[in-house]
Amino acid sequence: MSMKLNVSIGHIQFQNPVTIASGTFGYISKYAKSADIQKLGAFIPKTITLAAREGNPSPRIVETASGMINAIGIENDGLDHFLAHKLPDLAKLKIPLIVSVSAYQHNDFETLVTRLSQEESVSLIELNLSCPNLKHARLIAQDPAATQEVVAALKKISAKPLIAKLSPNVTDIAAVAFAAQEAGADAVSLVNTFSAMAVDVHRRRPVLGNVTGGLSGPAIKPIALKMVYDVKKRVTIPIIAMGGIMTAEDALEFLIVGATMVAVGTANFVDPQTPLRVLQGIKAYMKQHRVSDIHDIIGSLRTS
Amino acid sequence: MIKCQYTCSIVKNQKMTSRLFCLSLKAPGFVQRVLPGQFVHVRVANGLKPFFRRPFSIFRAQKTVDILYDVVGLGTRILSEKKKGESIDCLGPLGISFRLPPPGTKQVVMIAGGVGVAPFLALTDVLKKEKYQLVLLYGARDKDHVFSLKEFRKNGCQVHIATDDGSHGVKGRVSALFSKINLKMPTYIYTCGPKPMIKCVQDLTRTQHLSGQASLEEVMACGVGVCLGCSIKTTKGFRTVCHDGPVFDLQEIIL
Repeated sequence: MSMKLNVSIGHIQFQNPVTIASGTFGYISKYAKSADIQKLGAFIPKTITLAAREGNPSPRIVETASGMINAIGIENDGLDHFLAHKLPDLAKLKIPLIVSVSAYQHNDFETLVTRLSQEESVSLIELNLSCPNLKHARLIAQDPAATQEVVAALKKISAKPLIAKLSPNVTDIAAVAFAAQEAGADAVSLVNTFSAMAVDVHRRRPVLGNVTGGLSGPAIKPIALKMVYDVKKRVTIPIIAMGGIMTAEDALEFLIVGATMVAVGTANFVDPQTPLRVLQGIKAYMKQHRVSDIHDIIGSLRTS
Repeated sequence: MIKCQYTCSIVKNQKMTSRLFCLSLKAPGFVQRVLPGQFVHVRVANGLKPFFRRPFSIFRAQKTVDILYDVVGLGTRILSEKKKGESIDCLGPLGISFRLPPPGTKQVVMIAGGVGVAPFLALTDVLKKEKYQLVLLYGARDKDHVFSLKEFRKNGCQVHIATDDGSHGVKGRVSALFSKINLKMPTYIYTCGPKPMIKCVQDLTRTQHLSGQASLEEVMACGVGVCLGCSIKTTKGFRTVCHDGPVFDLQEIIL
């Protein structure tokens, strides 16, 4: 039985729906096996900003029940360094490259999108509208109107399909997703981490240097799944789903509720083989259930 | 999806004292790649508890990759219950190794606190081939944390021990031992242990104009330099302990 796993966003085709979440595989570490990474649908390097960012004070991570809280603070060397030193290696990958960007100054998004639009090796751009670790009173992704405004402005100048990455720290994530779609986003990705904290009771101090951070890992999966389910009811553009995926079954849950692609994030820290195991497991499931096309799984939830 | 992931079989999980254990791991091609100062990132349980891997300095790299650990929490307790023949998922060897002392060095002083002594056995395996005077200053909480240091002595190391409660060796901190030894300049320092001890060593060596290297420990997620979770402040900005370290120039760490 031949199996069709390929999916698409805009005009970009992916050989299968499995990718990784930004920030969980760096820019391809020196330890990465490119041959394995090329078996995935796409690669997403760590979020970049226009100027370099130092990141948050340590400790930056803490282990929690079935997950972790991080407050890295989008540490990165900035766009110029990315283009000169990271992109050449990433460009060698034979799978689509989705570059994740975020902005902390007015017009940074415009500059990032304009310059990445000129790079042939960049297939899509993900707008990280939802990083909860920075001391902004309100994030773009927490406001449907701001989301719509930013995405619409960037859509006008982008030569690449745009993905809006959404924050789960909202009352109605579907409303934000709908705003992104109305503004012309080619896809939405969700969820980013949930605002969280941990306290060292002996010292009565926050564990994290930044006081608060974002929770990820299997602890958030059922909540993330419900959010993807809600978003699917409101939008027609593809959804890239993430939130605690550790196994193929987790990934299948997201696909069944309507995700077109699934991203493995925190699980990469526990076992870097997870994305490949998830892909193998999806294939095994398709074989077992005699499904020949992944599209027969996507959004196939039966509720009656 | 990464090059350094091994399914190791446990050759031995030896109780060294009432608190300390030595776990010997084997996988084809694993031990040959180890340099002194590197570490392994061990998945102690296959489930979700504990969630993170645990990083351990490599203690010995002869026929097997050996780690020395103190049973301090859930991860190390699970590890202490592992039996010979079980398999365990390891990433490694990771991080950069110790660099050799600068030319002209006469004496090497290793200052270790608790299981921070671990990376120094593999280091002395290399240093014994040169003509340095080797000194190990080992500070531990009590006698339950002091194991046989005969392999260090066999490598030509002078060993001085201090315990916090005086139950073995001199009573006091390892830093107190430092003022008691005869320095044979030029002296070079290696240190590994709790942060307050490293800070103390940094201050002592700074006043004596000595240079050296420190091996650090941090909570880690990925272990391979991608998550940036274990970053520490250095004079060159944030650096990851897992990938830019765990070995750093002693004076470049900001504690």
